[in-house]
Amino acid sequence: MANEIQHVQLRGLSHVFTDGREPLHVLDDVSIDVPHGQFTSIIGPSGCGKSTLLRIVCGLLEPSAGTVLIDGAGPHDAQRRHDIGIIFQEPALLPWRTVAGNVRLPLEIGGARQRGTDAEALLDLVGLSEFRDYYPYQLSGGMRQRVAIARALAVDPTLLLMDEPFGALDEITRAAMRYELLRIWASQAKAGARKTVLFVTHSITEAIVMSDRIIVINGRPGRVVADAAVELPRPRTQEIERSAPFLDYADHLHGLLVGAAV
Amino acid sequence: MNERLRGILWGVVTYGLPPAITFAVVIGLWEAYVAWRDVSILVVPAPSDVWERFFDDPGYFWEQGWWTLYEATLGLIAGSAVAITLAVIMAHSRTVERGLLPLAIAMKVTPLVAIGPVLIVIFGFGTTPKIFLAALLCFFPMLVNALTGFRDVDSGALEFMRSLRASPWSIFWKLRAPSSLPYVLSALRITYPLALVGAVIAEWFTGNRGLGFVVYSAAQNLRTPELFSAIAVLALIGVAINIALSLLERRLLFWHESVRSTR
Ligand SMILES: Nc1ncnc2c1ncn2[C@@H]1O[C@H](COP(=O)(O)OP(=O)(O)OP(=O)(O)O)[C@@H](O)[C@H]1O
Ligand SMILES: [Mg+2]
Repeated sequence: MANEIQHVQLRGLSHVFTDGREPLHVLDDVSIDVPHGQFTSIIGPSGCGKSTLLRIVCGLLEPSAGTVLIDGAGPHDAQRRHDIGIIFQEPALLPWRTVAGNVRLPLEIGGARQRGTDAEALLDLVGLSEFRDYYPYQLSGGMRQRVAIARALAVDPTLLLMDEPFGALDEITRAAMRYELLRIWASQAKAGARKTVLFVTHSITEAIVMSDRIIVINGRPGRVVADAAVELPRPRTQEIERSAPFLDYADHLHGLLVGAAV
Repeated sequence: MNERLRGILWGVVTYGLPPAITFAVVIGLWEAYVAWRDVSILVVPAPSDVWERFFDDPGYFWEQGWWTLYEATLGLIAGSAVAITLAVIMAHSRTVERGLLPLAIAMKVTPLVAIGPVLIVIFGFGTTPKIFLAALLCFFPMLVNALTGFRDVDSGALEFMRSLRASPWSIFWKLRAPSSLPYVLSALRITYPLALVGAVIAEWFTGNRGLGFVVYSAAQNLRTPELFSAIAVLALIGVAINIALSLLERRLLFWHESVRSTR
């Protein structure tokens, strides 16, 4: 299995922003391999470069040094193949389009490969069928983020990049959305192959509940300071948050984040 | 349905009554002042004199108003078309922007109405000088607003589209153009009245019809009630344009903060 192609392969990524008054070194020598179907969380304090890393992975930003390979090719190939779905902290919907119109947007962008999931089925999946003709301003924050999830899934990408997708939601909605996203993710598996997820979060609970693996980034410039597997059985439910192994993981992560910050 | 009718009536009362009262008071004070100081009709006519002159031959004023509106509208369309086309190009190229913006600003700070007399020399007496001046006055505000609108797009939506390798064409039509709509419509509220000013001034210098011509010839012959009637028609056209643009905004921008916050 050693020479199996990784889904995402990051080698020696460094980034320096030079548009400010002085150059800002944000990421330093980040190397990560993510196999197909893995749910990986990236956790770290504010400003350590998590969003920058995601933008580099999906080809929106050229790194100052290092390489990104997605399925063995550069991220622009993956973009062209419509192989990446992104979800941001803000839903970033088009306010003049209905819910259904927003979900169809990616399908209207001509790509090299025309493929896609039926928009109606996706709305059903995220529980918004009845709201298909509503406009974003008529929805709650949680519903908008569900639309953003459906929109990202519309082209049936194999790689999902999520940048604090629940960061703008209240604690209660957020707690529910975690399990909701896990359910959606599981339902999207094709012939046992799950979509690969890179999930940026600030929440230790969120990271443990959702992930197969947690990568801790810390410092300025940000470096990978820990990389740990989460071996909790799936499907995971809310009960897991009170289980003994969960609490052990939480303690361990907490120590890593606090320890690294010192 | 009854509810709805009540709602509409209530709207008319709450939105229509306050300005109607203001208007009535101003007209009343004006009438009273002219009567009290016995102002000559050659200087400032009383509203009743203007009223009388207008209803003497309302068709005449409407026809002249129609010409002015027609020329202003053609000028608005021409000026906006050029401005928006340039804004599209500038939104995609900083080099073009740097090259053209200084020229546009120079045009903006020049009091363009001063070229009125020259227009005769260039374009003669037809409709062209009116359209030209109207278009010239509309150009800059539309250019700047449209350019801002094309650039003021939601960065998340833009990155989402880029992550799917959307073409600039597709990003323009699906994201930039709709995002610019609030800016373009608010520019119209400035440029349509400016187009009217342009048309009137061109008529002034080169006209034989239109409200600008009426104002000019009435002033030459000291027919002040006629002059004021023409101005009143101009004001009415301005108000009608404003109402039409408001309705258009409500229809097209139902999704935008500016419309929703006034509901
Ligand atoms: N386009 C940019 N130009 C210049 N500096 C930037 C840019 N984007 C981000 N930065 C800087 O890079 C650093 C890391 O930003 P980034 O958004 O990646 O952090 P983050 O880990 O996602 O933080 P948070 O958890 O708060 O979202 C910050 O100091 C930020 O100021
Ligand atoms: Mg971030």
